[in-house]
Amino acid sequence: MKLLTRTSRSYLLISVMVFIVSGLIFFKLLHNIFEKQLDDTLFEEKLLIEQTINDSDSVPDFRSVFGHMIDITILNTPRHKTEYIRDTLMYDSDLGSFATFRHLFVENTSEEMKGYTINIYKPLRDSEKLIAEIVIAVALVFIFLLFLLVWVNYFISRRVWIPFYRTITNLGMYEINQEKPLTLTKSDIHEFNLLNNALEKMSKKIRQDYINLKEFNENAAHELLTPIAIIKSKLELLIQREDLDEQQLQLISTVFDATTRMSKLNQGLLLISKIENNQFGQNEEIILTQILDKTLEHFEEMIDHLGIVVTKNYYHPSKIFMNRTLAEILITNLVSNAIRHNMPGGKIDIFVFPESFSISNTGQPLKTDPAHLFERFRKSENNPDSVGLGLSIVQKIANLYRMKASYACEEGIHVLKIFF
Amino acid sequence: MKVLLIEDEKELSGSITEYMQKENYLCEAVLTYEDAIEKINLYEYDCIIVDINLPDGSGLNVIRALKKLKSETGIIIISARNSVDDKISGLEIGADDYLTKPFHLPELNARIKSIIRRRSFGGTNEIIFNDIRILPEQMMVSVNDQTIILTKKEYDLLIFFISNKDRVLTKESIAEHLWGDEMDMADSFDFIYTHIKNLRKKIMEKGGEDYIRTIYGMGYKFTAAAG
Repeated sequence: MKLLTRTSRSYLLISVMVFIVSGLIFFKLLHNIFEKQLDDTLFEEKLLIEQTINDSDSVPDFRSVFGHMIDITILNTPRHKTEYIRDTLMYDSDLGSFATFRHLFVENTSEEMKGYTINIYKPLRDSEKLIAEIVIAVALVFIFLLFLLVWVNYFISRRVWIPFYRTITNLGMYEINQEKPLTLTKSDIHEFNLLNNALEKMSKKIRQDYINLKEFNENAAHELLTPIAIIKSKLELLIQREDLDEQQLQLISTVFDATTRMSKLNQGLLLISKIENNQFGQNEEIILTQILDKTLEHFEEMIDHLGIVVTKNYYHPSKIFMNRTLAEILITNLVSNAIRHNMPGGKIDIFVFPESFSISNTGQPLKTDPAHLFERFRKSENNPDSVGLGLSIVQKIANLYRMKASYACEEGIHVLKIFF
Repeated sequence: MKVLLIEDEKELSGSITEYMQKENYLCEAVLTYEDAIEKINLYEYDCIIVDINLPDGSGLNVIRALKKLKSETGIIIISARNSVDDKISGLEIGADDYLTKPFHLPELNARIKSIIRRRSFGGTNEIIFNDIRILPEQMMVSVNDQTIILTKKEYDLLIFFISNKDRVLTKESIAEHLWGDEMDMADSFDFIYTHIKNLRKKIMEKGGEDYIRTIYGMGYKFTAAAG
């Protein structure tokens, strides 16, 4: 739920509750006032009637005077003074139905020692009508005010939160490996500036850590180059010696292989850090199928050696705008991957479409989780000697050009697909 | 043949010098930019091998200095920086070749020979190894004066072998020479064997000797000596 919806909703809910409670109180007060007024009128009438009873024996027709039902009975015997006022339900001949009346009952003894009872009935409908009208008027004003307030609140809040959403958008678009550090737009609201400053500070630190780590990786890989070169050259000198026996050659061969792997690994890491640092030169228009053909030609001997059948399905020349070296590395890694994880007499199918291309190959099922396929140092158990950087490099290059690399396995066919 | 090696890493420089000595080159090694400039001003070399990252200067400036001297020397850059820019700028200012560290010594050797061959104007470009004759410009190979037809890879392989005759060549260095080092195939060099077998067959068909020896677990050696 959006904060704005949440606050607006709470605001509205509380307002309605306040409105109901205060409305009830208001109604009650209004009712009491009207009742009081009505009762006063009734008592005034009663006084007038009592006066008339005391002054003369005759009882005039008060009904025509006051305009409502008055029932006076003169009794011969004295009565105790009783007086009460209450609401009563009775038939209203004006309305033709039952209605509420205010009923004042008085029983007393006159100065002439005659008892009398007075019943005054005054219909409540006029005051009720008035109360209803007032309540409706007030309620309308109240509701109007309520909606106005909620709307104004919503509108203001929306404006106020604009810098916040801008910050969120900037954060979402920020990538740690981009050139500039995160900069957020200044706002005139203190709290948002606090947030922005904290975020900028944090991202600056993360960025610095990232850069340091990247530099460390790069430097480490770089510094390893010379020792590896020395080991390799010394080994090459060593194997030239005539006096080596088979056992010694075997030992040297093992060291040689390990050094080669280390060297490949190092080259891979250097390449990855170069891709991450975007140290490759200009982009140009690359015709994908040309590079594919060139790469396949390059691997021809190995493909023939393994008896792999390659089928090319070019439905589109697919021009991509990217660095040539990187395009070649991307394709080389994919093709070499398809060869390496293939089996003798297997197949490689290449599909090129306008928006994607895929290289699929037969081979042993994956023993590792496909989700981690593009991670560094993921190697299959079938090829323990491989360095495990090939697909990681593929993904790095794909990411650099906002392409997407994906893997799928269908009926023993491994498909690596790149979406432009 | 005089070769100047400009490489600041002593051990690597030592390895290269030792490898080159067997070729009967006069190989001089310097460790700094300053020494390199001094040497090229004093002497003429057939080939210069220069590292780009020197402690007191850039190898690229050594090449520029050489070009200023209107030197005909062949130039090979060796650089740890696996950088396309370095390669392009190096070749642009007149270097003949570029090798990335770490490289195989036989590879460097083959590149030096190739450059020297291309630069030797007087005399013939022919490569002769016993009964094998190669005319590099025409890519023609003959055994006992009979022409043999080789594929591009077999031809390259033969040149690589002869350039490094009497040396043990690892399968890896052969594969890298023929297919480049971007091919991450450390685990399967078996397919090289097919090429070696074919080359051997073609030479022997014309009555040539079998010069290719298999070195157990390691690679091959091209030699006329009975093994």
